[in-house]
Amino acid sequence: MEFEAVIGLEIHVELNCVTKMFCDCPNHPGDQPNANTCPTCLWLPGALPRLSQEALEKASLLSLGLGAELQPRSAFDQKIYYYPDLPKGFQLSQIHLPLSRGGGIDILDEDGVTRKLRIHHIHMEEDVAKLVHEMEGRLPVGLVDFNRAGAPLVEIVTEPDFRTPYQAMEFLKTLRTRVRYVGSSDCNMDDGTMRADANISIRPRGTDQMNTKVEVKNMNSVRHVGDAISYEIARQTAAVQADEAVILHTRLWDPDKKATLPMRAKFEGPCVPDPCVPAIELSPAWIEQMRTRLPEMPTERGERLTAQHGLTREEALSLSADPEVAAYFDALVARGIAPRTAMHWLTTQLIPAVRERRQDLNTSPVAPERLAALLDLLAKDEINANAAREVLVEMFGCDEAPEAIVARRGFKQISDADALDPLIDKVLTEQARAVADFQSGQVKALGFLVGRVMQASGGKADPKVIRELLDEKLGAG
Amino acid sequence: MKPALQQDMTVAVPSNISMRGRPAEAGSNALTGYTAVEDATVVRRLREAGAHLRSSACVGEFGFGLPVGGAAAVAPRPSAGGAEAVDGAELLMDFMGESRLAAAHASIYGLKPSYGLVSRFGLIGLIPSMECCGILSGSLNTIGEVLMTVAGQDGLDFSLPEEDAPDFSPREIRPEEITIGIITEAQSMAAGAERSPATGDSRGAPTPRGAEGFRASMEELRRLGFTLREVSLPGYELFSLVHRVVGSVEASSAAGRYDSVRYGPRAPGAKNWNEMYLMSRGAAFGTLIKSYLIQGAFFQFERYEAFIDACRIRARLVEDMRRLESEVDFFVLPMDDGPAQEVRSGAGVPPSLAGLYESHASTLYANVTGQPALYLPPVPGSAPTGFQLTGPRLSDGRLLDLGRFISESWGGE
Ligand SMILES: [Zn+2]
Repeated sequence: MEFEAVIGLEIHVELNCVTKMFCDCPNHPGDQPNANTCPTCLWLPGALPRLSQEALEKASLLSLGLGAELQPRSAFDQKIYYYPDLPKGFQLSQIHLPLSRGGGIDILDEDGVTRKLRIHHIHMEEDVAKLVHEMEGRLPVGLVDFNRAGAPLVEIVTEPDFRTPYQAMEFLKTLRTRVRYVGSSDCNMDDGTMRADANISIRPRGTDQMNTKVEVKNMNSVRHVGDAISYEIARQTAAVQADEAVILHTRLWDPDKKATLPMRAKFEGPCVPDPCVPAIELSPAWIEQMRTRLPEMPTERGERLTAQHGLTREEALSLSADPEVAAYFDALVARGIAPRTAMHWLTTQLIPAVRERRQDLNTSPVAPERLAALLDLLAKDEINANAAREVLVEMFGCDEAPEAIVARRGFKQISDADALDPLIDKVLTEQARAVADFQSGQVKALGFLVGRVMQASGGKADPKVIRELLDEKLGAG
Repeated sequence: MKPALQQDMTVAVPSNISMRGRPAEAGSNALTGYTAVEDATVVRRLREAGAHLRSSACVGEFGFGLPVGGAAAVAPRPSAGGAEAVDGAELLMDFMGESRLAAAHASIYGLKPSYGLVSRFGLIGLIPSMECCGILSGSLNTIGEVLMTVAGQDGLDFSLPEEDAPDFSPREIRPEEITIGIITEAQSMAAGAERSPATGDSRGAPTPRGAEGFRASMEELRRLGFTLREVSLPGYELFSLVHRVVGSVEASSAAGRYDSVRYGPRAPGAKNWNEMYLMSRGAAFGTLIKSYLIQGAFFQFERYEAFIDACRIRARLVEDMRRLESEVDFFVLPMDDGPAQEVRSGAGVPPSLAGLYESHASTLYANVTGQPALYLPPVPGSAPTGFQLTGPRLSDGRLLDLGRFISESWGGE
């Protein structure tokens, strides 16, 4: 019998808010342990939660960015959960009335077919503390760091629409792009600002039954999600073929063993509405106002880039995947740079240079207007591409205008035939063999001669003019 | 802003209301050694208004329910001693009517303010949706001043509705313009009559002190010129059930925050820290609270539908009360201050949940609906017990006006 997998994802995204979700403590989990705490996030007796407006707005933007519908009324519940990383014994989470419902993401599946993967709902919840296990001498001790306690999270729960690990991975990548676009989170799986759990079951292909599912946690990269799902599908298929029952439980992905391992059962029970956090009532006007704050989303942006600038789908997608890159591209084009030149310089020169220097595209000294000025010189043939690359490197270290750097370094291109003539004559005399090759039909020899002239000019000659002059001289024979 | 408080007013604050730097053990072993790190908003506002704050002990664990048996002995007294007694006030956490019951035992006034009128920040509670800070005093003016000082919006308690505190300035009461409702079912429950269709006919039924006092008080109100009208609230007997289910579930779901690990006694002998957390919680609470939490856990995990039903019934009761408010201005309700004195004085009777709910049967309604409720001591020489006045939510100021009018006519204040 052939089986297919039924997969749903539960994705936690840590919102990049300034404060925690229910108090004014800084949302910087990485600081000195327990530096960012107060009676509310330590849950000392008498403390009350106060929902942060910023968290509500960022969670709402995230919802809208994923096509979900914000609910006019949502509320927090107490999710009972006993563990030392949550000493108050319950987590504030929206179980009964989530912030938003519906929505989804279109992906291209492995067969190149567009597939809509639906979202069931998106809710807000608070993060828990971090447990640290250490040795004090020979005594093992458990320490609790509350910096992360109360950090603002959203959980995105999908429909079980996925059939393959590939689809899950594509979904996560697209989700990450969209959430970064709306500016709600950095969505890095390696630093934990995005975490994905997968619910996996299998069934005979072609049926629509829903079988017992297994939850897999602890994948800290998109690739691990794919690997863990693949492993779990194989494990369940083997179990069913051996006539063993699949039992509802939770497993952890072990990236070293490349296997999922069962974990201790989690206590779960019905949740009671929290009586202290008031229900969230969103008016149509407020929702509309949030919608106007949504930037152009990557898919729409990609389509616009293709239509407006004649880029290919791949080129457009590579530009629109990162909102900073896309905005930079738009800025270059707005300054009259040809779209293809802009894309080429941005992706092959500027971004690698920025990364190498561990800078941000947004804050790097090479702002769009400076790069545009440089590319303008290139377009007007005032410098050649090699010189432009060198000027770019200099631009990272000073705030001089590209024209000034070109003048200072003497990069201005020699396009004057009178100036190039003696150089060309000299090369033709020295390279008699190449000249003969060219004249006997070996076209490649021309490139060699151009290179020699360029070298003789100290890299400043305009290759187009050299080519024209060579054509003239050799053609004329 | 004019100072609301008389000079040198003393206000007693129990240990389940946080005062920065003071032990806030709330009468529970679970909080042994816990010192409040912040002032409760009520405390801060009283302090800023110049009140002298003094500590008082919690009656029972978490101040939850005045224990059957020991209540008379520990009932709060007006704070300052001797002749100035009337100038003092006492705060008391009110979960199920404690401030009215304690006032009855001390023969002073007790107010449970409207829910959402007074910040709950810094209150160490158990049932967030029903509890609030009650105020007791020998003087209604003092209660009014304290209420005016502590009431109103608080940036530390987002659960307060966005509404302005009502006008507390005293206004004239004209009895001929006021209709006071008598809830038939409350009357018959106090009279111990059978709970058959609420005819309000309690003749022939056993007559506890509450019913007797109530009848005498009604006569007095009529004599003062108020119009009294009997109204029916068929769901009245459900207040106790709703309070018990919703209250215990709220308590059970959230009581884990008193973890007895970062403060309080950690249980020894656990094999790992998870076990230590569980064992500490198990050892921290006393019998009464534990049985309340277990009852709540039962409804939450085994009978969740019953909890949902109770929430629905609660909403309906609130609606029913609101409907009656269109017919009358205020309500008067009997005050059953517990079993006869002889029984009450027998300290040492172990508190039970059933006993607790029985002793608060006549006060629970206001904690369920969020209405303000005021206990007035009896007319001197004419009745053995006092009674309660209640009105629409946020009618606290008018309720105090009414209480003041009645007391003054009887030679009080
Ligand atoms: Zn905090």
